Amino acid sequence: MTGPGIVWYLGVAAFLFGTGALGVLLRRNVLIVLLSLEIMLNGANLALIAFSRHVHNGAGQIFALSVMAVAAAEVCVGLGLVVALHRRRLDLDVDALSELRG
Amino acid sequence: MTISTVTSVLVWLPIASALAIWVLPLSRYATGSLAVLVSLVEVGFWIEQAARFDFTRSGLQFSERAGWISDLHVSYHVGEYGFSLWLVGLTVVVMAAAISYGFWVGRDRPRAYFGLMLFLTGATVGVFVSQDLLLFYAFFEAMLIPLYVLIGVWGGAGRLGATLKFVIYTMAGSLFMLAALVVYGIHTGTFDLVDGPTSPSRWLFLGFMFAFVIKAPLFPFHGWLPDSYREAPPEVTAVLSGVIAKAGVYGMLRIALPLFPGPASYYRTTVLALAAAALVYGSLLAFRSKDIRGVVAYSSLAQSGLIALGLFSGTNLGFDGAVLQMVAHGLVSASLFLIAGAVERRTTTGELRLLGGMARGRPALATLLLAVGVISLAVPGSAAFAGEFLILAGAFQRAWWWAAIGAGAIVLAAMYMLRLISAVLHEARGSTVGDEALDLRPGELALVVPLVGVLLALSAWPAGISHHSFAGKSPTNSVQGRFK
Amino acid sequence: MTGGAWLCLLAPLAGTIAILLAGTRIPRQAAGWISTASVFAAFGGAVWAFFSLRAQSGHDGEITTAWTWLESGSFSAGLQLLVDPLSSLMMLIVSGVGALIVLYSIGYMHGDEEERRYFAYMSLFVFSMLLLVEGGNLLLLLVGWGLVGLSSYLLIGFWHERPTAIQAAKKAFVMNAFGDATMALALFVLIAHSGSLSFATSFATAGHLSQTTVDLVALGLLGGAAAKSAQIPLHTWLPDAMEGPTPVSALIHAATMVTAGVYLIARTHPIFEQARTIELIAAGTGALTLVVAGLVALVQTDIKRVIAYSTMSQIGYMFLGAGVGAYANGMFHLMTHAFFKALLFMAAGAVIHALAGEQDIRQMRGVGALMPFTKWCFLAGALALVGVPPFSGFFSKDSIVAATLGLGWYGWIFWACGVAGAFLTGVYTFRLWFLVFPGEPSELVRRAFGSHEAGDEQDAEPRGHGSEPHHDGEGPWTMLLPIGILAVLATVAGWLQWSPKWHPFTTWLEPAARTLAIAEPTSTQEYVTSAVTVAAGLAGIAVAWAMYAGGRIAVPGAPAVRRALEHKLYFDELYDAVFFRPAAALANWTRTEFEEPAVLQTGPDLGQTALDAGGLVRRLQTGLLRTYVFFLASGAAVIAVVFLLVR
Repeated sequence: MTGPGIVWYLGVAAFLFGTGALGVLLRRNVLIVLLSLEIMLNGANLALIAFSRHVHNGAGQIFALSVMAVAAAEVCVGLGLVVALHRRRLDLDVDALSELRG
Repeated sequence: MTISTVTSVLVWLPIASALAIWVLPLSRYATGSLAVLVSLVEVGFWIEQAARFDFTRSGLQFSERAGWISDLHVSYHVGEYGFSLWLVGLTVVVMAAAISYGFWVGRDRPRAYFGLMLFLTGATVGVFVSQDLLLFYAFFEAMLIPLYVLIGVWGGAGRLGATLKFVIYTMAGSLFMLAALVVYGIHTGTFDLVDGPTSPSRWLFLGFMFAFVIKAPLFPFHGWLPDSYREAPPEVTAVLSGVIAKAGVYGMLRIALPLFPGPASYYRTTVLALAAAALVYGSLLAFRSKDIRGVVAYSSLAQSGLIALGLFSGTNLGFDGAVLQMVAHGLVSASLFLIAGAVERRTTTGELRLLGGMARGRPALATLLLAVGVISLAVPGSAAFAGEFLILAGAFQRAWWWAAIGAGAIVLAAMYMLRLISAVLHEARGSTVGDEALDLRPGELALVVPLVGVLLALSAWPAGISHHSFAGKSPTNSVQGRFK
Repeated sequence: MTGGAWLCLLAPLAGTIAILLAGTRIPRQAAGWISTASVFAAFGGAVWAFFSLRAQSGHDGEITTAWTWLESGSFSAGLQLLVDPLSSLMMLIVSGVGALIVLYSIGYMHGDEEERRYFAYMSLFVFSMLLLVEGGNLLLLLVGWGLVGLSSYLLIGFWHERPTAIQAAKKAFVMNAFGDATMALALFVLIAHSGSLSFATSFATAGHLSQTTVDLVALGLLGGAAAKSAQIPLHTWLPDAMEGPTPVSALIHAATMVTAGVYLIARTHPIFEQARTIELIAAGTGALTLVVAGLVALVQTDIKRVIAYSTMSQIGYMFLGAGVGAYANGMFHLMTHAFFKALLFMAAGAVIHALAGEQDIRQMRGVGALMPFTKWCFLAGALALVGVPPFSGFFSKDSIVAATLGLGWYGWIFWACGVAGAFLTGVYTFRLWFLVFPGEPSELVRRAFGSHEAGDEQDAEPRGHGSEPHHDGEGPWTMLLPIGILAVLATVAGWLQWSPKWHPFTTWLEPAARTLAIAEPTSTQEYVTSAVTVAAGLAGIAVAWAMYAGGRIAVPGAPAVRRALEHKLYFDELYDAVFFRPAAALANWTRTEFEEPAVLQTGPDLGQTALDAGGLVRRLQTGLLRTYVFFLASGAAVIAVVFLLVR
């Protein structure tokens, strides 16, 4: 197979993952956090597919499809929570939503 | 039922009765009567066992063994030696008196109460007859459960704090014992007390001793003592002081000394020093205590120290004296606490400065309190004197200063006990003593007089216990030989 | 013989138990008669034992054992009674004088609401004292010793609503407990060396012990003896013990219990002879006490306290005699003293009883005019006490003083003390006599005997012995008969032994307590001593007559000395400051500074620590999503790195 080496793909995947992680850790808006979470998942997917191609094993791609399915489900739940929060006129700020503490 | 199963009957009969009481919807009167009846039947069984006991033969008698956790070599192994026979007797007699007191006074939630008292009886007897370490531990902990509830539900104003302190202190010690016994069991391959070998490990010895030193209690691990003794109902305090405390010193005698002879010698002076400290410290604090229960509680601390002094002196006189003193003091403190309960019921307080002048018009109370009080201070001729004399004579053979400290404690005991007697009975009438505070009723007399009777009989023949606790001429050899 | 011993011992115990069990079902007087009968039965047993012993050749005595009381390993002590010359003598004295005093109590305590308790305690006391003297081994002697202390506590504090009585009772018991403790230590030494407490073994062992050890044993025994016999420095309980009823003072604090120390020295004399220094210290203690007590008696104003200090002083004589080795002389004085001192107390009691509780001698005068029988009996006792021939004190006291002459330089000091004591005895005894009996009756006395109304009495003793003054003369027959008998005995008992010429008493005691050769005076020494002491005694009487006859109270000068004597040489204050206050302060300090903050708080402190630790951990749960994610991420990263590195 021709094209860029696996390292480039992994680099992009890492970049996506890192961006997503930073977003989760640093952003305060709940929607942005969910968005960043999606980006992280995509980064992981990319890495899986790249490896699948590299070792000529289809399992990685199938795993990526499952991850997408799970991501979709989790996004539904997350967005549902966001809608519920919004309905209660709560501030969509992760730092403000901290009642589950010791 | 054959003769040898009497031991198991002594353990399980009260527990089974407790279960029956908890399950069956009996009336208050029926529950109480059943409990008293069971406790008296226990005494009967014990008397039969004592009559058949062969005091000249060494080794375990009335023993039973059944497999329990065979992978770990843990078995249900119970049996009696001379000294454990006397302690079982002490238990059943004091529990009978305490249960009868509860019946006489009328505790609310009788089914719970009497069930717990009976359960406590069975668990305590189990402690004294267990010959397997894990079984011993199980019964040792089982004693705590009913005590926790009894103090926590039927106790005085500060009962919750007291019972919490009591349970946590005792459990902390027991956890060390659990660790020690697990290591011992795994290391030597058996948990049996009769078959298992001795061990030279100092850590294991300390682990066991930590639990016993808290239970006895000895200075400075007695922090749980004053509050628990004050807040518990009087008959429970009688049991705590008279019987449960003896489980601690029994553990020292049965487990710590025979199983770990090397470490016991190594730590002998330390333990003797702690025991002497308990003796003096307890006497001093009893001398200035503000209420009846405080005086008797600190006096119990002092007596535990004395008994431990006898055990760790490592002499024949010390061992015999310690066993005698265990029984004598058990009876004395149980009687004192029951009498204290009677006084508190009449005057709503145990505080000494509010009492006084109760001797006038109350001859039964005066006579009993005086009799038990002077026995408690070990007036020569009493069983407590015999025990104390043997212990101190034995301690003297170890080193003269232990006996000198003990002799000083004799004078202190006279001081604090006479102060107690006078503060309750003599001088002007206290502010809380009214005309409606009657003399001891026949019901109360029926509880205390038998205890005092046994004490007087023991005072007439202390050799009955002191010479019949360890088979053979020398208790020291008996202990070293693991009572075989 | 042994049957007599058992009867003697157990009869009073049976009396106590009978009174205890009968409770309020029997009338009060009946308790008195039960008690009296039991002690008379004891006397009968003592007489039986005595005559059986006399019939035995060699008079070695016999030991009888009921059962083994205490046994452990090779040590064993049985419930043993010993009947030998010494113990049979004591049995006779204790039960005989005891019986008379209990009889006297019937009259004295008549009307007291708690008469039954009193007689139960009296019988208990007689039993305890008999156990002490009959005990066949040292342990049983210690048991009797302690029980006697207990009975003393019960009887001193008999009128328990009086704080002074209770304080006195506690003081007596605690001081005696100290003596018990020192005796117990001595016994521990003996057990450690010989494994037995029987008399024979212990005495034999004493010969093999090192000097220090046997000195310590003797010192321990002496401590107990000094406490029980109220010798300096353990004497402060005796005057306070006068809070008890007068018959108690007569029996316990004159005739029997306080003489137990002398008995102990005589009984354990083989041990003391090995520790000669200690024995001489005992003698010195006796000499010191007899002088000091005599001095303090000079300023006492309570009739019973004068007699109490007199007792202390006379026991000093007995200690002196036993300490120098003249055991028989000491015991002889014990016997005569029992008679005349009990007599004096009972006569004083008769006076107190007649005056409805008054005990202050400054209020009494001319009692003799209205109580002639008591007066003459008291005089007989007083003359016996001072040692005027032919009364009994003369024969017994002088032989003790003479016995000191063989000892060298300290013997002379003892001799001088003995003579000085005789002088002082004369002064304080006849000071008492002259102030109370002769002359015109005082206001109080006349009122007591003249008035028939019930409301007249002084309230010196709030209860008991009759709530109204006596109309029936000097007292009931139950009180006067014992006084009379003892007066006779005080007069004639001395004729039993006149040391230079005939001494059946010493001969009788020889198997049990042989007098040391060094303590046997020559005839010359005896005669000279007797002359000197009698002269001293008569001089004392003369001084008393000069100062106090005619009702004048001439107070000698030196107020500081007088004050010191009135405060009994400040011993009480000293003991309070050195023993009681520090003990109480130490106990309080221990409680507030150590027990409460440290020990009792340990549990709650540990609990608080656990809670605090939990609090710290709780701070990790911030509730912020970002913190949790951060921990998640960093944890995962760490694991990944570790995995990579380890691989």
